[in-house]
Parts: sequence; C-alpha cells; structure tokens
Amino acid sequence: MSGVALPARRRIVLPRLGVADLAGAAIVLGMVVLILAGASLSPYSATAFNPMHSLEAPSLAFPFGTDEFGRDVFSRVLAGARPTLLLAVGAAALGVALGTVTGLTAGYRQGPVDETIMRFMDALMSFPGLILAMLVVVMLGPAPINVVAAIALVFWPRSARLVRSIVVDLAHREFIEAARSRGEGASFILFRELLPNVLPIIVVDFSLRVTSGVLLAASLAYLGIGVRPPTPAWGLMVRDGQQFIEIAPWLVVFPCLAIALASIGTVLLGERLRHRLALPGGGRAQ
Amino acid sequence: MQALGFILRRVLLLVVVLFAVSVLTFAIVNVLPGDVATAVLGDMATPDQVLAVRKTLGLDQPLAERYLRWLLGVLQGDFGRSLQHGQPIGPILMGRLGNSAILGLITLAIAAPLAVALGVMAALKPGGVLDRVIGGIAVGAYALPEYVIGLFGILAFSIWWPVLPGSSLMDPNENPLARPEALILPIGVLITGMLAFISQVTRASMIQVMGSAYIRTAVLKGVPRWRVVMKHAMPNLLPPTIAEIGMYFGYVIGGLVVVETLFSYAGLGQLVTNAVSYRDVPVIQAVVLIVAAAYGIGNLLADVAALLMNPRLRS
Repeated sequence: MSGVALPARRRIVLPRLGVADLAGAAIVLGMVVLILAGASLSPYSATAFNPMHSLEAPSLAFPFGTDEFGRDVFSRVLAGARPTLLLAVGAAALGVALGTVTGLTAGYRQGPVDETIMRFMDALMSFPGLILAMLVVVMLGPAPINVVAAIALVFWPRSARLVRSIVVDLAHREFIEAARSRGEGASFILFRELLPNVLPIIVVDFSLRVTSGVLLAASLAYLGIGVRPPTPAWGLMVRDGQQFIEIAPWLVVFPCLAIALASIGTVLLGERLRHRLALPGGGRAQ
Repeated sequence: MQALGFILRRVLLLVVVLFAVSVLTFAIVNVLPGDVATAVLGDMATPDQVLAVRKTLGLDQPLAERYLRWLLGVLQGDFGRSLQHGQPIGPILMGRLGNSAILGLITLAIAAPLAVALGVMAALKPGGVLDRVIGGIAVGAYALPEYVIGLFGILAFSIWWPVLPGSSLMDPNENPLARPEALILPIGVLITGMLAFISQVTRASMIQVMGSAYIRTAVLKGVPRWRVVMKHAMPNLLPPTIAEIGMYFGYVIGGLVVVETLFSYAGLGQLVTNAVSYRDVPVIQAVVLIVAAAYGIGNLLADVAALLMNPRLRS
C-alpha cells in the first residue's frame, strides 16, 4: 500500500466527467432527495388501504400499479427510499467510524493492543456478512436502529483492517516521530496526524460500504428481517409482492428497479471516487 | 516440507477461529440485550411463559456452564432441539447442508473457471471493447442483490417464456439432482453474482502479471500469444486468484441464503430464514455455526490449493 499517503492539499483540477459519472451523481442526488422528501412527494399514502383499486396494472393514475391492498406502488417506492437507503448510509457511517478508530489505534499502538484488537476483528470477519447481520437483528429485535447496528458490525472489522494496514506503515514515519518527540498525546497523533493521511481511503471505503449497505439492508428486508409491514422498505415490498408475480409483476419489478438504481448509482460514484483519489482496487465488500 | 508446515499452521488457525466463532455466536445469542426467551416468544409473552421457556432452554443456569454444555454437545453432533419441530437439530442440518453444498459446489465449478477466463480475456486488452463489456456486466451483477437478478430470471424464463420452473420447491429429503431443470435458475443467479467479483479480481492480477518483465521477454522472443498466457502468465495468476475466491465464500453463502429462500430450495439458507420467522433460536445458532465453519474450511482449502499450485513452495 505504498503511495497511499496523499499530500493534504492538492491543486484543484476540474475532473473530466463521463456519462457514467454524471449518471452516478444524478442517481445519488435523486436518492438523497427521496430520503429527505420521498414520502411527501408521494401522490398517495404509502400505507393506507384502498380496496377499490386492488392489484391494478400500471396506469396514468397509478404509474407503477397497485398492490393487493390497493396501495399505490409508486408512492410506496418513493417512501421506501428512507427505510432502505438511510439504513445503508447510517450503517456505513457507523461501521467506518468504528473501523477507523479501531484501525488507527491498532496500527499506531501495535504490540499486544494491536494483536488483541485484530484477533477480535478476525473472529468477527469469520462470519459471512449476511449471516452475522441476520443473527444480530434477530436477537436485538426488529427495529431500524438494530439493522443499522447489525450491518455496522459487519463493516467494522473490514474497515478496521483496511485502516490499520495503512497506519502500520505510517506509524514509523518521521512526522509521527516528530510529533511524539514534541510531546503530543496519543489522541493528537491519532486524529490530527494519522487521520488526515488515511482520510482519502476512508472516504472511498465509506462509499463502497454504502453500496454494500444498500444490498445488505435490502436483502435483510427481503428475508423479512428487521422491518415489519406496512413499512414500505423496498426489500419487503419485493418479498410481499413475490406471491403475485404471475398476475401482478409490477409489484416486484418496480421495487427491484429502485434497489438496482440505488446500488448502481452508489457503485458508479464510488468507483469514480476511487479513481480520482488513485487508490488500489477495493473489491467487493461482503 | 515447507508446504506441510504451512498447512498444519493453517489447520491450527482454523481450529482457533472456529473456537472464536463458537464463543461469538453464543455471546451474540446470550449476552446481547435481547433475551432468548423474549426473542422466541415475541413481545406479547406473559412472565410465566418467559419463565417456562427459560427453563426448557436451560437459561436459568450460569452462562459459562451453558456454553460448555452447548459446545460439548455440538462437538458430538448434538445441536439441541428445534423449538419449532421439537426434533433434534443435527439430522435436520445434515440433509440441508448436503443440499446447499450441491448448489454451492456446482456454482463454484462453473463460475470459477468461467470467471477466470473472462477476467483473462478482459485483461489482454485493458480498455478494449471486450474489457468494457465484461466490466459493465460485472458492475451490474455486483450492484444487484441476488433476488433482483433471480426475480427477473423467473419473470423471463418461467412466466413470459415458460421454459424453466420458477421454484425448486421440494421435500428436504428429496435429492435435488432428481430435478436438474429446477436447479438451473438458482445456479444461474449464483453464477452471475460470482462472475462479477472473480472476473474483476482476475483482470486486475492478470494486468499486473502481463506487465512484468518475464512476460515482456517471452513476448519479445516471439513466443505465441496463447502460449504466453497459458504457460507463462497462468502459473503466476492462479494462486492469488484462488486465494481470492476463497475469501469470497462468505459472499457465496450469503447469496445461497437469499437464493434458497427465493426459489424455496430446501437448503441451510432456507432453514435459517424459516427459523428466523419462527424465532427458533437453537436452529439459528446451529446454522450460523455450521455456516461459519464451512466458510473457514472453504478458505483453508482455497489457501492450500493456492499453495500447491505455487511451484516455489511445493518442493
């Protein structure tokens, strides 16, 4: 991982943007708008039953059709951004924050502290991500905050390992030596000297985690874990709509498209970010 | 000899990891704020019910003692009893594990070579048309959850153009290979997910290998292109790629859970999602342990295979 420590200030060069970057940025921007205002943009209530219009095909009045209770699928997809995407962003933020602090500490302290922390991280990593998240949500109970905690627990060791791998190298550099010899405390060295050097990596890691957070949150909801009806989470909509797939495919198609759009948007933006910051490939986070 | 030492160390490490996994699994189930009895009964349980369940599960005994008893049982193949069926969990697990293994191994056998081939082809001309197409498909496959790919597969191949069964619904004791057509869609979904990752990892290492001096020498002295790729590049490409594939087992397992639920395929994944909806904690605990063990063993096998393919370490 050499060449990773970027100078803190770089000359600002306007990036040349391709179609993929613009698409990624537009999708992510759209998703942010939906998270902030999705429910209030909906033409109908996302949860109120309307038996007069059960299982109607997409039309002008109901552009994405209606479900078995007559609820407008379009409104539910708009309102579903928050219970899907906000969980992903929250989990990515929490997981990367925990991983950063842990990785900084382990990489700087080294020795037994490092060993203890990293072996614990290894143990956490020996669970497949989805399985660990499932177990934690089942035990904590179905609530959005528990889903965030569970997914963050999946991300934590992976971010910690990444940050540590860079800090271990940095810890022996002269500027750390200098800080120590002028009597700076550990927290100053960790957060004022080391953190700025790993920041680009953390930003990219965060963007990759948001993508896998969307996938994990949507998969958990699809498995019926962590969200309860009538919450219009996209994964849950797919799960409930699946039984009608032959007569009303719109019930699964539109939430599926929403999930696809959200994760592709974050992937495109994340890849671009990685490219801009000239970082080595990250690979798929599990 | 060097290799043997490595394998021994690796097996030892696996034992340590499995021990840690058992402790963590037990800790998550028993120490997290949620109480097992409440998790089993739901929020509406009366205190008497909670007490009764705590007693049947042995929750009134000290934590360390419960852990040791559970671990000793697991080591002898006794995973406790399912709350939902009242049957011992061990025999249920075995059949399901076999079914999941069938799905996973077929996927691996097809996807791994295919993905490596695609990655190599993409790497031969980075930025070329083929590279862009493969890269684009990989991003799509990477970004889509398995059930999204699977549901579009069902729509396409069992509803609009009905050639494949959209569900593998079966009795847990039935041999899944008896109806191979029901396996095509689930395996197709899993393969798509794997292709994305492995092909891109292969591509990255292949570009690195192709840029090295010994490959340039081979090209300059006029060795045919296919020979450079197959005989010169491959031996250096495969070990790290196989180790990467091993790291990827965890994702395959997550994919299995979703795909089995989607297609009603009677494997471990479906067992655990069912157990979740019935709050059958002993079953969940057992599946998590088995799955983490399979993950660890899969990792170990991949590392050993990578090692055996590395001529520098084989002697």
